[in-house]
Amino acid sequence: MKIALVTSTVPFVYGGARNIVSWLKTALEEAGHEVEVVALPFDEEPSRIVEQLGMFRMIDLTDQADLVVCFRPPAYLVQHPRKILWFIHHLRAYYDLWDTEYRGFSDNAIARARRELIQRVDNRAFAEASHIFTNSAVVSSRLREFNGVDSEVLYPPLGSEHSFSNNGYGNEVVAVSRLEHHKRQHLLIEALALTSSKVHLRLVGKGSMPGYGKSLLDLGARLGVADRLHVHDEWVDEDLKQQLLGDALVAAYIPVDEDSYGYPTLEAARATKGVLTTTDSGGVLELVEDGRSGLVVEPTAGALAEAMDRLYLDRELAAHVGNGAADRVDELGISWAHVVDRILSV
Amino acid sequence: MKIAVLNNMAPFVHGGAEELANHLVERLLRRGHDAELIRIPFRWEPFTVLPKQMAIATALKLDAAERVIALKFPAYLVPHEDKTLWLLHQFRQAYDLRDSAYSTIPDSPEGRTVVDAIQREDNRAFLGSRHIFTNSATTKARLADFNGFDAQVLHPPLNDPELFHDEEAEDYLFAGGRVNAMKRQELLVRALALTPNDVRLVIAGPAEDESTAEGLGRLADELGVSERLTLDLRFSTREEIARWVNRSRACIYIPFEEDSLGYVAMEAAEASKAVITTTDSGGILGLVGEGYSGWIAEPTAESLAAAMTDAFRHPLRSRERGMNMHLHWEAHGATWDKTVDRLLA
Repeated sequence: MKIALVTSTVPFVYGGARNIVSWLKTALEEAGHEVEVVALPFDEEPSRIVEQLGMFRMIDLTDQADLVVCFRPPAYLVQHPRKILWFIHHLRAYYDLWDTEYRGFSDNAIARARRELIQRVDNRAFAEASHIFTNSAVVSSRLREFNGVDSEVLYPPLGSEHSFSNNGYGNEVVAVSRLEHHKRQHLLIEALALTSSKVHLRLVGKGSMPGYGKSLLDLGARLGVADRLHVHDEWVDEDLKQQLLGDALVAAYIPVDEDSYGYPTLEAARATKGVLTTTDSGGVLELVEDGRSGLVVEPTAGALAEAMDRLYLDRELAAHVGNGAADRVDELGISWAHVVDRILSV
Repeated sequence: MKIAVLNNMAPFVHGGAEELANHLVERLLRRGHDAELIRIPFRWEPFTVLPKQMAIATALKLDAAERVIALKFPAYLVPHEDKTLWLLHQFRQAYDLRDSAYSTIPDSPEGRTVVDAIQREDNRAFLGSRHIFTNSATTKARLADFNGFDAQVLHPPLNDPELFHDEEAEDYLFAGGRVNAMKRQELLVRALALTPNDVRLVIAGPAEDESTAEGLGRLADELGVSERLTLDLRFSTREEIARWVNRSRACIYIPFEEDSLGYVAMEAAEASKAVITTTDSGGILGLVGEGYSGWIAEPTAESLAAAMTDAFRHPLRSRERGMNMHLHWEAHGATWDKTVDRLLA
């Protein structure tokens, strides 16, 4: 079958949605299908958003592909009689983030007209879809709440080129993700300062703002934990990442109300490491259960410090949640075989 | 530098232009640029969809790119203040093919409106480009004739020149490339029938369809040349093609009025092989000199047979012309390094 995977991209920015598309391409090709990726630029600059919606709508893949799978908005506006959505997020400024500081533009009549238009064309595209998958229960519930449509959660696996392994449970809590304020690496450092054991913390990832990485180092020095804090404020290659996770005591991932469980969680599970997370981390809690596949604590430095000490002093607990995380991934059916099976059966 | 390379996409169809775009991006990356290929889905039938296709390209926002290199209509309509065109061809149905049997745009009021719109948008894009390169002298001439814009010819280099080199010649002439009516392999078989019995020919390349392939085999049988003709009409690997080229006595390429030099001629030149072509073959005539680097025959079986016989019967002459072909090609300077230099100048 000829399958087109359609998404929007931000030119010269890699990762995230592009990964899921290229990994699905590989999985579908291995299943014997012909796959073409249609990826076109899209930016959320408010004054140009409507024209860009129009551009995506003008793309008509009828007769050129047998099946179309659409990802990032507004890719699902393209025309095709057999259109499946793997919906990963809304244009959130016009939905759940409208009443927050993250909206990024003022609430006036023009903005409201845009919001009305976006929601209308979205609803129309959702009605056209043969089936809607989402990447998390959080996104599915937003679709129900804002658009009144039902969807099926289809968890995105990691690409098959990753080969994580477990080299034992060392002394480090390892947090691999972009260094961003809303991922709260600073809170992990504050927690480190409250620990009573000799546990170490390793932060790995590139930030979009150069200042945050620097401020983390300053914070560590100020709190007197520089000797137990390791920061890689850079894009690290897969080998190093796999080694660091392989040696880790536990992984930590404590974003604020994330949509999905996030790749850091899956990577930890692939290395048979549990995940330390917080009660307000959103989609991460779909995968991590307290005491089984990780530890889930209040988002305070004290609670996180206590959890770090507990794991440092009890390596059996670290191994228990590590195995639990790996089991949990299987239990949720997070595999490309399952994804391909679901996509081709609707 | 952040460079966006823009091309069209006919979903699930991959040909020379796609290869070229991929290689261009790869070469830009190797130079340390942040290059990204952006392919815009394109459909051209029925002709009434064409205005919409142009609107898609003009709605594209590429501010994140510091430079855009665009290859085809309508991708090159994308608005950008630092845009270089490397035109592989225009939308020929609105220009030189407008009155031909190949056009799907009717000569009706609607058809004329669409053609006018294409020409108007094209002219606007050409005017808004910093540099215009074309892939051949033919494309350059058409751009001058129809739109009044000047351009520099920048031949697309071979993507895998390392595969092609001169090996000791075996006793066959080689005709590579896609097999279809425009490439006139049938005429080659007829010419072969007029050559002496020791002349051998290999035709290798993907046939357009089953009937084309069968037709060639049947013709060879009818003319009694099957013994002297090898037909290899699969989609061969690049290594297989190179082996045929490298061990040939000379190469043959006789397309009808082709725009560009053609990869077949470039491969022959890289491997220091002389080329037999015809007076009406188009772009390739920029590379082959009669009596110097090859043979330029009339597009008739008789004239081609004479050239083939000469090339086959005189290995030293073929070899000398092959050397000249290589020298001429090197002077041409169609390497990726130089090509990228010029595109970014």
